[in-house]
Amino acid sequence: MVAAYGFRHSGMHAAPGVHVMIASDIIQMIQADRLPAGRRITTVNLAIETQDLAKRYRDVTAVADLSLRVAEGELYAFLGLNGAGKTTTIRLLLGMIKPTAGCARVLGTSVRMGSREPRAAVGYLVEMPHSYPELTVRENLEVARRLHPGTPRQAVSRFIERLGLAADADRRAATLSQGNAQRLGLAKALLHEPRLLVLDEPANGLDPAGIVEIRALLLELTRKQGVTVFMSSHILAEVARLATRIGIIHKAHLIREIDVEDLERDRRRRLLVRTRDMEAACRVLAAAGQPVEMLPDGALELRNAAAIASPDDIALLLADAGVPPTHLVVEEEELEQYFLRLVGAKEDVT
Amino acid sequence: MRALADMIWVEMRKAVCSRLPLFTAAGSLFLPLGIALLIFIAQNPESSRKLGLVGAKANLLAYAAMDWPAYLVLTAQMIAAGGFFLFCLIISWVFGREFVDGTLKDLLAVPVPRASILLAKFVVTGAWSAVVAAVILIASLLMGALLGLPQGLPGVLLQGSALVAVTSCLVILVVMPFAFFASAGRGYLLPLGMAVLVLIAANLVAILGWGAYFPWAVPGFYAQNQGDLALASYLIAVLTAVAGMFATYLWWQRADQSR
Repeated sequence: MVAAYGFRHSGMHAAPGVHVMIASDIIQMIQADRLPAGRRITTVNLAIETQDLAKRYRDVTAVADLSLRVAEGELYAFLGLNGAGKTTTIRLLLGMIKPTAGCARVLGTSVRMGSREPRAAVGYLVEMPHSYPELTVRENLEVARRLHPGTPRQAVSRFIERLGLAADADRRAATLSQGNAQRLGLAKALLHEPRLLVLDEPANGLDPAGIVEIRALLLELTRKQGVTVFMSSHILAEVARLATRIGIIHKAHLIREIDVEDLERDRRRRLLVRTRDMEAACRVLAAAGQPVEMLPDGALELRNAAAIASPDDIALLLADAGVPPTHLVVEEEELEQYFLRLVGAKEDVT
Repeated sequence: MRALADMIWVEMRKAVCSRLPLFTAAGSLFLPLGIALLIFIAQNPESSRKLGLVGAKANLLAYAAMDWPAYLVLTAQMIAAGGFFLFCLIISWVFGREFVDGTLKDLLAVPVPRASILLAKFVVTGAWSAVVAAVILIASLLMGALLGLPQGLPGVLLQGSALVAVTSCLVILVVMPFAFFASAGRGYLLPLGMAVLVLIAANLVAILGWGAYFPWAVPGFYAQNQGDLALASYLIAVLTAVAGMFATYLWWQRADQSR
């Protein structure tokens, strides 16, 4: 079923003429209940599905009304500020805490505290990557291997190499740098080659080279091996390069889900104009029916779609009026600004 | 079964690589060596007089352990009190370290059943405590031989050693609930604090004459009465262990693990 549709970044190639749907399309169709007859997708295709999931600690609501759907093979980024509810959601998905309301299904199995399914197919890293300090890197991985029966012995050495831990393999975990402790945490999550990876801030503590390395590793896992990745982060710019879809959680509520491709469309753009006579230019643009605003630094800002789409028309208009532009640029809202705007917008609503 | 064997390996590896062997070895040798030193002082009046108060206390102790049977009863009582603290330390570490080191989360969402993980922890706790008790007994026998205590007949030594062994088993049983305290308290403080409280309570209960029915007074009562114990007391010790293990299991299975 999955192969028939194909997924963006899944590494699967559709034959010519075959309509390829991306995961988010499928999910939107599921939500709208408008999949074509005979092509109705079942929950088997969803790696994660939650329905009105909530967790409250006395007066504190950690997660509320969370309904998520993550398709198999997808790389879903769960974005939020500190304390937004990301880790609580991850703990709920892993059955470490009981939901106050709602339910969650992971790889087609209802999540229950203490249950054994679907543990074998899930790898995870929650919060700080803690390991047994008195054991070496190799011994910590051996412990992880034995916690996942059926994992071959060779997996330990393979993942030591793969995560760049060979030089520290026989060092005690207590002596590892934060970056290498994070690598060890990731190696433990990957050791049994899970179908679903749940990672809480996987880039924490890594240097820029390490971040690039882990990004490449996660892309390889999703594209070549069809692994589903659900990762939390508080840095939009980081996940935008990696994820296929982004869910934004703020103050316990999922406020937005967006395809990474739609990020471009969703971010605000503006046309900035400078001339030698800003007052005159402002009058010319206003007279031409262009809504214009003068910024404190003196630049003119145009936000209407027509101006952004055709800055050359604006340039022509100003040149014809005798105030040719000296500076004309279309600026796109920074990702972090976009994220903060979304979060701020929600705050205004509530 | 394979999962349990794997988990026992994991727990043994963690214990062996930690500082636990060092602490427990020091603790298990300190008790018999300390008592032997006091008996040695009491056996040498010249040194005893020079030491004043210590000498007086040493004389008191030597009176209580003037021959092999009395010395081995004292060893059993020592395990009922000092050994109890050592075993509490072991079980607090085995369970509490997962919370202190933040490694608990790595045990919660794995295919190995939590029952196997917990059972392995109990097995290692029991085995480690038994080794500590054996070291205390062997060290005590060696010290007794070096001190030249009278009535060292093979039968007496065997009977005294059995008394120490059974007392140790009873202590191991009644420390099992401390796994629950380590889990619910998420560390070492609650179980070790409870150990102090329980020992004080055990002494009070023993003074009131109900020592045979208070789980944590049962080992001391058994040692004091030289093995004379009602079946109900054995049952109380076993039930305490079972209840402690079950409570720990329920807590691991049902409590929110949000840290």
